[in-house]
Order: sequence, then C-alpha cells, then structure tokens
Amino acid sequence: MVLFTMIARVADGLPLAASMQENEQPGRDLQKYQNQAKQLFRKLNEQSPDRCTLEAGDVSFHYLIEHGVCYLTLCEAVYPKKMAFGFLEDLQTEFYDNYGRKVPTVTRPYSFIEFDTYIQKMKKSYIDSRTRRNFGSINTELQDVQRIMVANIEEVLQRGEALSALDTKASNLTSLSKKYRSDAKYLNTRSTYAKVQPHLCF
Amino acid sequence: MSRCSLFSLPVPAGAPQSGPPGRHLGHYPSLPPGYNNTPASQGAAPPMHPPMQTAPSQYPPQPQLYQQVTGASRFSLPLQGNTPEALRVVNLLQERNLLPAGPIPAPTPPLPQDLQKVNCNPEVFRCTLSSIPQTQSLLNKAKLPLGLLLHPFKDLSQLPVVTSSTIVRCRSCRTYINPFVSFLDQRRWKCNLCFRVNDVPEEFMYNPISRSYGEPQKRPEVQNATIEFIAPSEYMLRPPQPAVYLFVLDVSHNAVETGYLNVVCQSLLDNISALPGDTRTKVGFITFDSTIHFYNLQEGLSQPQMLIVSDIEEIFLPTPDSLLVNLNECKELVQDLLKSLPHIFEKTMETQSALGPALQAAFKLLSPTGGRVSVFQTQLPSMGVGALKSREDPNQRASAKHLAPATDFYKKLALDCSGQQVAVDLFLLSAQYCDLASLGCISRYSAGSVYYYPSYHHQHNPAQVERFEKDLKRYLTRKIGFEAVMRIRCTKGLSIHTFHGNFFVRSTDLLSLPNVNPDAGFAVQMSIEENLVDMQVVSFQAALLYTSSKGERRIRVHTLCLPVVNSLTDVFAGADVQAVTGLLASMAVDRSVSASLGDARDAMTNAAIDSLASYRHAALTIQQPGLLAPACLRLFPLYVLALLKQKAFRTGTSTRLDDRVFSMCQLKFQPLVYAMLMIHPTLYRVDDLSDQGALNISERTIPQPRELQLSVEKLCREGAFLMDAGSVRRSCNPSFLTQVLGVPDYAALPQNMYQLPELETAESQRTRAFIGWLREQRPFYPSLHIIRDDSPQKGDFMQNMIEDRTESALSYYEFLLHMQQQISK
Repeated sequence: MVLFTMIARVADGLPLAASMQENEQPGRDLQKYQNQAKQLFRKLNEQSPDRCTLEAGDVSFHYLIEHGVCYLTLCEAVYPKKMAFGFLEDLQTEFYDNYGRKVPTVTRPYSFIEFDTYIQKMKKSYIDSRTRRNFGSINTELQDVQRIMVANIEEVLQRGEALSALDTKASNLTSLSKKYRSDAKYLNTRSTYAKVQPHLCF
Repeated sequence: MSRCSLFSLPVPAGAPQSGPPGRHLGHYPSLPPGYNNTPASQGAAPPMHPPMQTAPSQYPPQPQLYQQVTGASRFSLPLQGNTPEALRVVNLLQERNLLPAGPIPAPTPPLPQDLQKVNCNPEVFRCTLSSIPQTQSLLNKAKLPLGLLLHPFKDLSQLPVVTSSTIVRCRSCRTYINPFVSFLDQRRWKCNLCFRVNDVPEEFMYNPISRSYGEPQKRPEVQNATIEFIAPSEYMLRPPQPAVYLFVLDVSHNAVETGYLNVVCQSLLDNISALPGDTRTKVGFITFDSTIHFYNLQEGLSQPQMLIVSDIEEIFLPTPDSLLVNLNECKELVQDLLKSLPHIFEKTMETQSALGPALQAAFKLLSPTGGRVSVFQTQLPSMGVGALKSREDPNQRASAKHLAPATDFYKKLALDCSGQQVAVDLFLLSAQYCDLASLGCISRYSAGSVYYYPSYHHQHNPAQVERFEKDLKRYLTRKIGFEAVMRIRCTKGLSIHTFHGNFFVRSTDLLSLPNVNPDAGFAVQMSIEENLVDMQVVSFQAALLYTSSKGERRIRVHTLCLPVVNSLTDVFAGADVQAVTGLLASMAVDRSVSASLGDARDAMTNAAIDSLASYRHAALTIQQPGLLAPACLRLFPLYVLALLKQKAFRTGTSTRLDDRVFSMCQLKFQPLVYAMLMIHPTLYRVDDLSDQGALNISERTIPQPRELQLSVEKLCREGAFLMDAGSVRRSCNPSFLTQVLGVPDYAALPQNMYQLPELETAESQRTRAFIGWLREQRPFYPSLHIIRDDSPQKGDFMQNMIEDRTESALSYYEFLLHMQQQISK
C-alpha cells in the first residue's frame, strides 16, 4: 500500500508536489519518513541511479527520475515493487504532460500541489483490487523490476555525511599542518636570534 | 488599602472582595449620601444636573446642539501653556462635548519622521501606550495597562509579497529583518529586538525592485512594516494542506422549525464557486439529531447516499474516504445534496441533539488533513458525550453565575482539533438557553469564531434572517488561512505574559491557529522586566505563518516601533484611549470568569479612577478643582462607563446568560475597531443630511453628519436618528417620512421595517449612500431597524444611550462625580 508520494526537482531538491498522508496508521511515524525523503532529495544529483528502491525496515522508498524530476513513494515493504514502479510511471507521464515545461522555472515549494488530486486518484485505483488485475498486463511491459538497484536508506543518507565528515577531517589536517608550518618557522627564527644574540653582545 | 485592580495578580476565586463598599458601583444603598441627591434623569427628560446649570453657556437650547463644534479650546483651562494637544487639561465635569466630529484616530507616537513614515498601520498593530515607559515602576505609576492589540490577518488593499530562497532573520532571536533594524555597514545589520549583529546574506544585496546591487537598505523587507513572504520548504512540516470545509448541521425538530437550513443550503449553493480554494478543495457534510448522518458523495454515484450511525457512544466513520470529497469533481452531487437537505428533514419529530458525538465524528473526518468545521446548533445538546443541562435561572441572572464551562469536554475536543489543524466555528441560532459558556470552548481553543443569532426564526424575525444570510456570505467567501501559527516578539526587556483571543498557546509564546480569518483580533499584555535605559525606541513584531487556500505557505510579518520615554507626563501623552479600553475589556472578561462579575466591574472602574488620580497627583503641577484628565484620556471614563453598561458586564436581571457570554466572546476576539463600535455606538442625526463636508468616494457623495453623544437630550421629536451599534438602528420623524421612508405620515409607518425604499429624492439618496458607506466599512452586515418612537424595540435603542441613567446604572455625570470623589479621597 502506498503511504505517501512526493515529487521533487532533482537539481536543488525543491519539492514540487506531494500527496498528504491519509488513514494515519497507529504506531507509524510518517513525519520521520517525510524528513528522510526530503534529505534524500537534497542528496540526489545527475549521477544518481534513475530507478532505485531504498529499504527502511518494514517500509521501502521507491523512486524514479525522469526529465530532472524525482518521483518518490513510500510503500510497505511487502507491497509489490512492480506495482510501485507502475504507479510512479503513471504519475510521471501525467505530471510531465501537465507541468513538465514549468519545472525548471518555479521557485516556490509545492508549486504544483494541485497534482495531489491526481495522485490520490491513482493511489485509489492501485488499491482497488478489481482494477489491480488490469494493471497486471501493463506491468509486464515494464522493464524487469528485479534489476532495479536496492539499497538501504540510512546508508544512502549517511554516505554523504561520511564524505562530508572525511572532508572536514581533511581540512582539519590541512589547517593543522599549516599551523605546524608557521610554528616551526617561528621557532626557527627564535633559535636563530638566540644564536645571533651572544655574538652581538661581543 | 488594598483595592481590586486588573493589573495586580488575579484574585483567587473565593478570596474576599477587596475595597470599601463605596467602591462597588451598582450597589446603590452603599453610595455616599451626596450621590443619591442627584436628580434622577429618566426617560426622555433632558438631564440637567445642578452643577452644570451654573455654566449655561455650554448648554445651548436643544435645536442647536448638533451644530456645536467641539473645537473646545474655549473650555480648556489655560493653565499649561505650551503643552501638546494630547496633554491639554480637560475638566470632565465642565466640558460636555468631548466627542470629536469624526472617528478617533490612534495617537501618533513621537518618533523621528523617517521611522514613523514606515511604521505599522495602527489598525493592524497598536499599543495601549504609544510611548513605552522606561521602567516597570513608571508603568505602575501611570496605572494604565500595557499591551498590544492586533488584527494580523486584516484584509489589506496593498501588501508587498516577497519570494526569496532565504528569509533574512536574526540568528539569535529569529526576528525577521524589518524597517527598524540598523545597518552597521553594507554587510552587517543589528537586530532591533536582541541587538545581535548579523551578516547580510549575499542574496539580500540585490534589490529585485530597483534591480540594483549593494543597497540592502532599499529592499522591500526594510521598507515595509507589513510584508508577506512566500515561505521556503523549511517552513513546512508537511506538504501544504488543501482547503477543507466540513459542515455540521443540526436537523432536529427545533432546528427545522427555525427554518435556518434553507438559508444555509441556499447560501452555500450561491457561493459554492466563491469558496476560497483551488482544485484540491474538499467539502463534506454531517447532519445530526439523536443520531449522526453522513453523506457519501463519491464521484460516480447518481445521487448522494445518506449513512446513519445510531451508535453515538463510540462514533465511527462508515466510509472514511468518500465522505470528504473533492469539490471540483463532485460539485453536482454536492449541489444535489444541498437542494434536497432541507426537504429530507421537513417532517422530523426527533427533538434530541447529539452535538458532542457529531463533533467527534467531524474531528475524526478532518484529522488526516485539517481544515474548518462549521457547526450550526439550535438547542442545548442533550445526548451522548458533551450533553448539557440548563444552568440559567432567570431569577438568578443578576448574580451572573455560570460564566465558566460546565464540562471540559468541549475544551478537550478543541485541543485535539487544534493538534490536527482543525478549527471549529460555531453558529448558534436559538431562542432558548444553549450554554454558550460551555459550547463556546470548542471554538475558543481551536481558533474558531462564534456567531450568535438569538431568537432566529425564518418568519418571526426577518431582520435576523437577513443578517444571517449576509454574514454567511461573508463567512463563506472571506479569505482563510490554514495550519497557522503566530508568534509575537518584542525588544529585550519587555515580556509578553497574557494573550487574549481565540487560539491555543503552544510553547509559551507560540499561538496555534488551525484557521485564521480576516475578522479575528488578538490582544496581549506586557510587562517591563528589565529597565529600558539607553533605548530610544523598542519594537514589536508579529509573524503569522499560514497556508493559503491555494496551498501556498506564507508568512505575514508586522513590525511596530515605539519610542521609550522616562517621564510620567510623556507616558500619559501617548496613551491610546481606545486601545486601553479594548485591552481593559479583555482583561475584565477574564476576571469575570476567574473571580466574579462584581470584581471585574470594580476593577474597570478602579482602572479609570486610578489612572486619573495618578495623573492628577503625579503629572499635574498646578492643582485645580474638578475632575481632570489629559485630552488623550478624556474619553476614558465614558468608555469605562460604556463597558459597565455593556451586555457583558452590566448588572440587573434583563441580560440573558447567553447574551452576556456572547458579548464577552466578542470583546475578546473582535479587532479593536469593531469592538469599539460595540462598546460605544455612534449616533447621527439623519433627517438633515447635507452634502456639506461630504466625502467623495468613487463618484458617490457620502454625507458626513457629526457624531452625537449617546444621551436622550440629543434626541428630539422632529428628528430622525441613526445609531451605528454594529447593527444599525434608527429612530424617527415627518418630512423625512415622505422623502426617505416613502410613507405619507407617521401612523402609516409599519412597526417592523428593515429596509429603506429606493426613492428618487435627494434625501433618500443621501441617506442610503451614508448607510451603505457605514456598511462597507465592516466585514459583517449590520441589519437596519427602523424604530418608531412608540415601538417596543425602542428599548434596544435606549439601552445604548449610555450617558443616561438607567434603573441599575449611573448616568455619565453621576459616574464622573463618583470618580471625582474617589480621586480626591
């Protein structure tokens, strides 16, 4: 089952549209996942894989990137991947048709929040078991979902942090070595003065 | 002598009332003997008080009264030579015509011109003291309340809106950059609230308006005291919610009898396309009597489906996802429902009302998204949780008990609602006691509004119906903000301690407002914690973060800057008498509930006495007889007396409990301008309107008659008068009858007349233009009552004659004498 859906611009992680969570389930903190999704958007770039599944315990993020826009959905881990990506493909087609050209120019977050209505409608049709059968045929035409990369959300989010930690450590080292250099210079001059001084006294 | 005052800590309930008996106004036997000797001026007899007859020149014969100008300098006492107008000494006992010719403007704080030029509009943001005292002890000496009055979401004709990826704020206190910060150089600015020096971000160096670089002082944020930002995504906890409207309608027998359902459904049908929102807007309907009825409006159905839930003990939603539907997609179904609703319940015999369970259902339905619930209720809830019992005993009305809620169910539910961004607006249409004190909590803590139409009936009360229709139109189509929060910051040293209005205070200074509407006002009280030495000015900033009905997250920021003064005279010179009155009224409402009505009345009287006493003893250098007030406070005793005679605070058995509680609600959540109309109505004579001094607004001529004092002495048989008391009332005359009212003679004037005929005469046009203009100035539609001199409604008109004596209350002059006596003690 789809828990929430977000659409963002890859270039700067600006959220473009989202579907509000409904049927709030007890014991599940969707806020945490939303924050993770936002962090993820900020991490994404040109080099990111364009289709990916990220596991986070009993739920999974699925996202696809097309035309510089990332479509992300949070599903229960047991929800078929095939369906999730079918859902995202559907959203992508519709979204690109309606707003595709405006995406690069907007600055306000959630500029296309009205797309929510369509997302909800799609979500409903994916939940409905009667229509689910119809989607089966479409899904076979999709590329083999098994080949889609799977990773862990924590790892992905921390990868950047580890890099930035390395970066700060490196810059720390640089500054330390600079300090060492200047200290050494200072000591050198002092010892030179010390050597020269007695000579001057004479 | 310990005395009851609003500025001291609240008196714990049950504590003995302080103050000598003479302090208790309204208890006639305890009045000093000299007091009772004043001749009673009742009915239409012009009140002529003996001390006043000594100065007959100030009381010209009746017909010239309204031509008299208040210029008033000839009455002023030529004692203090070069004082500003605000400090001109006025002897209230001698000077009778205190009202200025037009509306009373807010005082202009003595700031350098460049600061005052950009200062916040006083209608949006004003302070009771437009010059802030330097220390708490100075404030205590002035005996005036210190507080702010806000109308943060007021409809504005012009509002600069800024979109930028970073909103510049102080790094330590989070104040938004504003016109009153100082730039140390091009790259650094100093916060005017906490004085931290901040960097100017690179982006801020560019000015999008002038398209120039390197002039951060010219940015719109630094040029406008009221500004709106489009918020970046850091200001969103979740994607912006859609506009969601849920209507909860009482359909019990009693409700159907009043005929209100037709009006609501028709009004919704008429305005359904004007509901603020976008393509995401959702609507839903719940009706209730002893059971709860839901309406399935899902797309694809041929007609709406009614689902009845009779288990009100444990309420559940029958089909959670089709009760709240997209308005755009299901408009036809919604319209079908609205057309059929009034007929479905036409013959109902069900008399019970399960309001509590219906509200629980509404909360369940809206909690995933948040939104607005509009509840229409016509009787005391009698079933399920939240059922209430009648607490009003008409014989006990005088004691004004039961101002506090009978159950905490409504408050608790309101807090749950607030947590899920749901606001509940209550429309109460009832002839019977409904316990508004308890029901009102549902709106108060969820930042909703309360509307009250006593004795609403579609046939018996046409004026009420008209008002209800117009109010609904405004209610449905006005701007609305969702999932809002407001924070008010002030310069270090000042601290905000009490808030007034409808909201829930989350984390000490953050007001949680699930909805915010343009007709909501707020007030806060402040104290001076640290001395404001070395400060020329202090600033206040209110920031309101909300989601517009179009799904945009926005921040509206208002900043007010005021000077700091160190002398008592300057504090008095800056007093804003209307703001003081407004804040005092809010404080007195709290006091009535926490202590008693008598306590609140004493406290208000003492506020007037204490401030004038302090002025007399500390600010005046030359002592002189009489009751002296600075010109800026000359209306204070009049306003306090008006408050004492307000439905909220008056004594006697004529005020129904719900009326009283509603009046209290209004005093607390109306913006100051509207509250002032309620406190002190304006009276005009309208049978001699002329174009002299008229306003010209878009090619219409609006006559401007002068305001009259609210006293019977200003009325006369041959005149026609208009009283603007929120709802416009008028009393009547002869040539006026044919020219304006279109009836041949006085006897032909019907008892109930609510409209002016559109006649082609100049008089008629002038009158209608004037009334139309008065109506345009306020959001809600005041109904017009045309009252004959012998009409039973005359009582309502006369009740507003606050300067006159009534059975249980003093006349203005008596009140002044009482004050003088207390001051010279």
